[in-house]
Amino acid sequence: MGRIQLENVTKSFGETQVIPPLDLSIEDGEFAVFVGPSGCGKSTLLRLIAGLEETTSGRVLIDDEDVTLVSPSKRGLSMVFQTYALYPHMTVRKNIAFPMRMAGLSEAEQNKRIMAAADSLNLTDYLDRKPGQLSGGQRQRVAIGRAIVRDPKAFLFDEPLSNLDAALRVGMRIEITEMHTRMGTTMIYVTHDQVEAMTMADKIVVLQAGVIEQVGSPLDLYRAPRNLFVAGFIGSPKMNFIEGDEAAKRGAQTIGIRPEHIDVVDSGPWTGTVGVAEHLGSDTFFHIHGTGLADILTVRAVGDVQMSHGDTIHLCPREGDIHRFDAAGLRLS
Amino acid sequence: MSDRRLPRLLQSPAVILLLIWMIVPLGMTLYFSFIRYVLNNLRRPEWTTPSFSNWRGWGNYDFVLGVKGFWPAAFDLAIPLALIAVAVIAGGAALKAYLDAGPRDLVRRARAHLGLGHVIAYFMLALLPMIGFVFFFGDVSFGTGKFWLAMKNSLFIVGSILFLTVTLGILIAVLINRVFPGRGIVRVMLISPFFVMPAVNAVLWINMILDPVLGLQGLAVAGINGVIDSLQTAPVVGSFFSLWPDLEPISFRATQTSAYAVIIMVTWQWTPFAVLILMTSLQSEDQQQKEAAILDGAGAWNQFRFLTLPHLARPIAIVVMIQAIFHLSLYAEIEIVSRGNGNKNLPYLIGEFANNNIGAASATGIYAVILANIVAIFLLRMIGKTLMD
Repeated sequence: MGRIQLENVTKSFGETQVIPPLDLSIEDGEFAVFVGPSGCGKSTLLRLIAGLEETTSGRVLIDDEDVTLVSPSKRGLSMVFQTYALYPHMTVRKNIAFPMRMAGLSEAEQNKRIMAAADSLNLTDYLDRKPGQLSGGQRQRVAIGRAIVRDPKAFLFDEPLSNLDAALRVGMRIEITEMHTRMGTTMIYVTHDQVEAMTMADKIVVLQAGVIEQVGSPLDLYRAPRNLFVAGFIGSPKMNFIEGDEAAKRGAQTIGIRPEHIDVVDSGPWTGTVGVAEHLGSDTFFHIHGTGLADILTVRAVGDVQMSHGDTIHLCPREGDIHRFDAAGLRLS
Repeated sequence: MSDRRLPRLLQSPAVILLLIWMIVPLGMTLYFSFIRYVLNNLRRPEWTTPSFSNWRGWGNYDFVLGVKGFWPAAFDLAIPLALIAVAVIAGGAALKAYLDAGPRDLVRRARAHLGLGHVIAYFMLALLPMIGFVFFFGDVSFGTGKFWLAMKNSLFIVGSILFLTVTLGILIAVLINRVFPGRGIVRVMLISPFFVMPAVNAVLWINMILDPVLGLQGLAVAGINGVIDSLQTAPVVGSFFSLWPDLEPISFRATQTSAYAVIIMVTWQWTPFAVLILMTSLQSEDQQQKEAAILDGAGAWNQFRFLTLPHLARPIAIVVMIQAIFHLSLYAEIEIVSRGNGNKNLPYLIGEFANNNIGAASATGIYAVILANIVAIFLLRMIGKTLMD
């Protein structure tokens, strides 16, 4: 079991309130991702759940039990840190054994669990090395191994992949997702990378300045962002926002349309000149200037479309995929 | 001229200068240690000028050790030297097998398990024969030899100071490594003993603090005795306190206690040094590791034992190395506390001989060089190397 609930939780550092009253519920076995720009309070929220920070007010419940005043080690949670936080002078084996050693498990049981963890994480050959002799990805796996052996109610990941290079990040992303499917344990994952959030999460929690902007499945957030912030944050490249006549025509203050929902046509309602073109092979992203709608309009064209700087381009938005927002930035349905 | 020659040629003046700097005094000391050379002798005025015609052979070395003739001296010296040599060679070979034997799996695993604890334990094991020999057989085997007493005092004083400064240094560094009001002032005050001159430090301690009559110690003991006296004459409780004895102040210039006085004052002066180095190191400790340990269920003691202490291993080794080198040559404190009565170490013995007998002083100096080299080999090479990974 691993059901985590936050009730009216707030956190202040001195006079500054970084998390205004907040409610959140994460179901057992769920993969929840906290995502938001840096400084939005997502790490603080994770540390509140872990118990590394004390709540200023409100309650934290794990499996319906109030753990607000329970010490971090007694909450039954494991955490994987951004810097891995391995113990540098201990071998991989001792690092993984450390939580069990602190819990006073028998030597035999420790060895059994170490071998099981090392097996599932491909660490068997590295058990007698020190963290300094491992690569970034291996270190991250050791940190995960140390978290697994405690058999926790939930795993907490604090931006675990941001110190890895791009290729490794994709690999570890898949490994963690597979681990979640295999183990079925609740996981809470903090990241500033919306791609990680979209690919891994069952439930995404979008945060800004300590406030939850929206909670939902990745596709919910993609299809129906609740407000301008979520609309702009989820999806890559960013959604285009258009104000003025075009928006008024559709009865909104602002309309948003994703680059993939604008078609390049021979003649259409919108016209502009091509600026930068990003060729990814499978897709091409054009930055369009001079449309009179927004400074820059980003448009996706499937495949390798030959257009060069300064060319005139005609565009047609898909009416069904236009998001409408009111003056307060909230979605109009 | 090849690529290498020119740089070497350009470096050579510095290297040659350093060599001369080292070799000339060492050569002079060796030369003086084998001849009769005294500053003043009315009966044998020829001894007052260094000359090969005053050759004395091993005589100065025997004289220093307090034995007569070359063979007894050689035999007596051979035992500790052989023990030390065996320890060094065996230990060195074992360590070499551990450390240098390539990337074979067995060796790598052994290496992973060879912690600082093992190295320190081994170091102690290797030193034990030497220390044991000096302590238990020194007096018996060599009669009245001042040398063994001085060596014993040197090791005792240096060892005690190292133990105390490192222990106190760790405790104080951990204590002040947090935010509290007035931290800056506390830190400056903690460092200040280090800026006191050794001689001033000794004068202050022995006269103002440790003196049995006028020092703080004397005043405190007198004060406590006064309280006890008044309690003894008090009604009701008087009969109970009349069983209490009066306290005797300790005379720190006495033969039995003068070494302790030196240890106390040098510890006071050098603990700030350990605090300074250890505190700097504590500030670089990884906070996320601590948080990970908290989540792993480690309490304050286990965090200290498994994270902080290993993190401090290298700075502790540095403190031990530097202080060992400095404290082997203590002089001012010993001169001021009791003029060598009860706390005479090797440098002080050399100084005493050098009042007149330069030959004996030189021979003692050569012994001291050997001792310092043994310490240097152990400390610098072994601990230093192991900590480099």
